[in-house]
Amino acid sequence: MIDSPRPRRTASRAGRTVRAGRARKLAARQRGIADEFVSWIDRRIPCFEVLDAEALELIERNADTVLEEVGVEFRDFPRALELWKDAGADVDGERVRFPRGMCRSLVTATAPREFTQHGRNPRRSTIIGGERTVMVPGYGPPFVHDLDQGRRYATIEDFRNFVKLAYMSPGLHHSGGTICEPVDVPVNKRHFDMVYSHIKYTDKPFMGSVTHPERAADTVAMAKLLFGEDFLVHKTVVTSLINVNSPLTFDATMLGAATVYAESNQATVISPFLLAGAMSPVTVAGTLTQILAEALAGMAYIQLVRPGAPVVFGSFAAAVSMQSGAPTFGTPEPSLILYGAGQLARRLGVPFRSGGGLCASKLPDAQAAYEAANTLQTAALAGVNFMLHAAGWLEGGLSMGYEKFIMDADQANMIAILLQGIDLSENAQALDAMREIGPGSHFLGAAHTHANFETAFYRSNVADNNSFEQWQQDGSLDAAQRANGIWKQMLRDYEPPPLDPAIDESLVDFIARRKSEYADRDY
Amino acid sequence: MATEQAMLEEEELVLSELNDDELVEQMHEDLYDGLKEEIVEGTSILLKRNWSAEKVLNESLVEGMRIVGVDFRDGILFVPEVLLAANAMKGGMEILRPLLSESGIKPIGKMVIGTVKGDIHDIGKNLVAMMLEGAGFEVTNIGINNSVEDYFQALEKHQPDILGMSALLTTTMPYMKVVIDEMVKQNIRDDYIVLVGGAPLNEEFGRAIGADRYCRDAAQAADVAPEMVRARRRGAISRA
Ligand code: B1M
Repeated sequence: MIDSPRPRRTASRAGRTVRAGRARKLAARQRGIADEFVSWIDRRIPCFEVLDAEALELIERNADTVLEEVGVEFRDFPRALELWKDAGADVDGERVRFPRGMCRSLVTATAPREFTQHGRNPRRSTIIGGERTVMVPGYGPPFVHDLDQGRRYATIEDFRNFVKLAYMSPGLHHSGGTICEPVDVPVNKRHFDMVYSHIKYTDKPFMGSVTHPERAADTVAMAKLLFGEDFLVHKTVVTSLINVNSPLTFDATMLGAATVYAESNQATVISPFLLAGAMSPVTVAGTLTQILAEALAGMAYIQLVRPGAPVVFGSFAAAVSMQSGAPTFGTPEPSLILYGAGQLARRLGVPFRSGGGLCASKLPDAQAAYEAANTLQTAALAGVNFMLHAAGWLEGGLSMGYEKFIMDADQANMIAILLQGIDLSENAQALDAMREIGPGSHFLGAAHTHANFETAFYRSNVADNNSFEQWQQDGSLDAAQRANGIWKQMLRDYEPPPLDPAIDESLVDFIARRKSEYADRDY
Repeated sequence: MATEQAMLEEEELVLSELNDDELVEQMHEDLYDGLKEEIVEGTSILLKRNWSAEKVLNESLVEGMRIVGVDFRDGILFVPEVLLAANAMKGGMEILRPLLSESGIKPIGKMVIGTVKGDIHDIGKNLVAMMLEGAGFEVTNIGINNSVEDYFQALEKHQPDILGMSALLTTTMPYMKVVIDEMVKQNIRDDYIVLVGGAPLNEEFGRAIGADRYCRDAAQAADVAPEMVRARRRGAISRA
């Protein structure tokens, strides 16, 4: 028999000992969410796979054909061409063609299967790869959206707000990167403020700047101040988003940033970022082939720069509306691409990035919710290791939504439970419960229920499951309106994780010095 | 069976055997289907029948593309089809352009368009170029990552009515202002209509940097561009 836990005598009131029933439960149930240290999801269910071995070999063969016949351009970046020439690739102008199997063997020889990305709080360090999923907020939007003010250009205050919200969301294990673009800070200096916010207002791991090699170098310098120079020699503390300028092109901006990170052993997420139909063929098989070819070329390049530097096989696939050219999200074809790309990454033995709460909706409405749910679930089942854009994404990445962020974070919590699979422990088998209750009756009072009810079922903080009358009494709010109240409360409750004042000072000094070294520029 | 028969019928169609009205109507159909060779042939036939270049342009090509534009807007035609139609239109335009300029007829418009420095996003910009070509514009697409010097060189070389700039990044869109400010400085701002576009822009931004118009999408750009060129020419005439 399982005993239901007995309240212990804990407090004394007016000279006599009392059992602190209410206070104890209140404290337990309102525990600060930021105190929970879950740094990734351990997946214990199989990945959903859509391609058999023969199909995978076909895609791999075709990708090799593309790499060999068509090749990949490495534009305005002579260093890459030299490295490729030395490695034995055929370099023709800026076009690089690769002997069959070359990229694959470069990647499999030295790229790690998984790697730890350290957080400044070691309990937040996360592992990217293997049977794990790390949930990461949205990236890149120039606008923000909330129910009170609608859509507007993002500011550094919005940026800080989202860093705080991610910090307080237990289902998000990472602080992300350009969580929104703070357009009120000069273009050539905003990376300082963004990286500093990721250091100051959270202790979760974060992503660095990629919009200029110098900005990548500044990110690395700041990471060294935070972790210590030596720490970075063999350890990874920054991940970075390196997009392929598809089809089959890497540009100097991305190559420059990627090279800086790889040289200092920091991680690059090499992402073919495809709007199928415009940037890749209109078919799933064709797009998968291109994704594999591009990811292989990019990851192999990183291994040439520094063998063993952590890389992630990225994939972002959406389709364009053939009627207008606009990107679409949460539709079935990109889901198939996502499942297939996950399989290709696993066969290669590198971590896989994809997915997120993608949608094209402008508001946190039904379209936003179902498109996002489609992609989140697909990504979870596809075995994604690094799920960028997991929270907040609206409007094809043009807008970061406050309410949408809360709704997606709720989904992220659910995904964690889904991926953990079915508990088959003796307690979970619950035979005792059935023996105790027998036919008829109900389980609400069973000892087994008592022992398990608090954590038995996921409780959404956004969904409303009350009676119509109760819901009406609570103000007849829809999900977005409830989420509006939640993010505001979270920001009111936010308390920053402590940061060593000496380190903080050194960062502030560094930023002030660097900012004074050159003039503000707005491009 | 049905398609086979349709193909047979098409094979039998000889453009030169059609009367003027039938031929113009057929050219509207052929533009719709993006048949470049047929448009080139139809254009030549009408010219041989002593149609003025201007009449061919307006009645067969522009009117045909107007129908294409309407059906694109209404979601009946798809992007790849509009691309083909615009390409067919371009084929006809290549024949008409020298004749038009010989007879002193102003072309519908000329535009130079490119993505600004530091930015490589070009899908939207290419759609805009396509739609404007479809509207009869002579478009010079100068690609991505364009500096002030690149834009100025293209303006000088092609003397367009319109300068179009595209940016998709908040880190690059302020560069549009750099270009416009330099145009002001060099006293050439008023020589051109400046249209800007790209997803992170909005109307307010367009105004703030001194552009003539912000265009939210390619279809709007294709509406606005000829209108603004006409308005500017009217202005120029009344000033003269
Ligand atoms: C007269 O002149 C005119 C008139 C009208 C004009 C006009 C000019 N130009 C456009 N229009 C208008 O008409 C067009 C047709 O109707 C429309 O054009 P659009 O371009 O809006 O629409 C197209 C038909 C379809 N839309 C698009 O093609 C853009 C889609 C999104 C998803 C996008 C894409 C595809 C890409 N990207 Co980029 N990308 C995003 C975009 C998010 C979004 N939803 O817009 C955005 C713009 N990207 C972003 C980022 C961050 C980046 N991207 C990058 C790279 C890329 C790809 C190469 C992968 C690819 C571009 C491929 C290509 N050949 O263009 C990187 C930059 C590279 C560089 N050096 O420039 C990188 C920096 C990635 C990184 N690692 O951080 C974000 C911008 C953030 C910001 N700060 O502003 C972004 C909002 C996505 C995100 N959330 O991260 C209208 O705007």
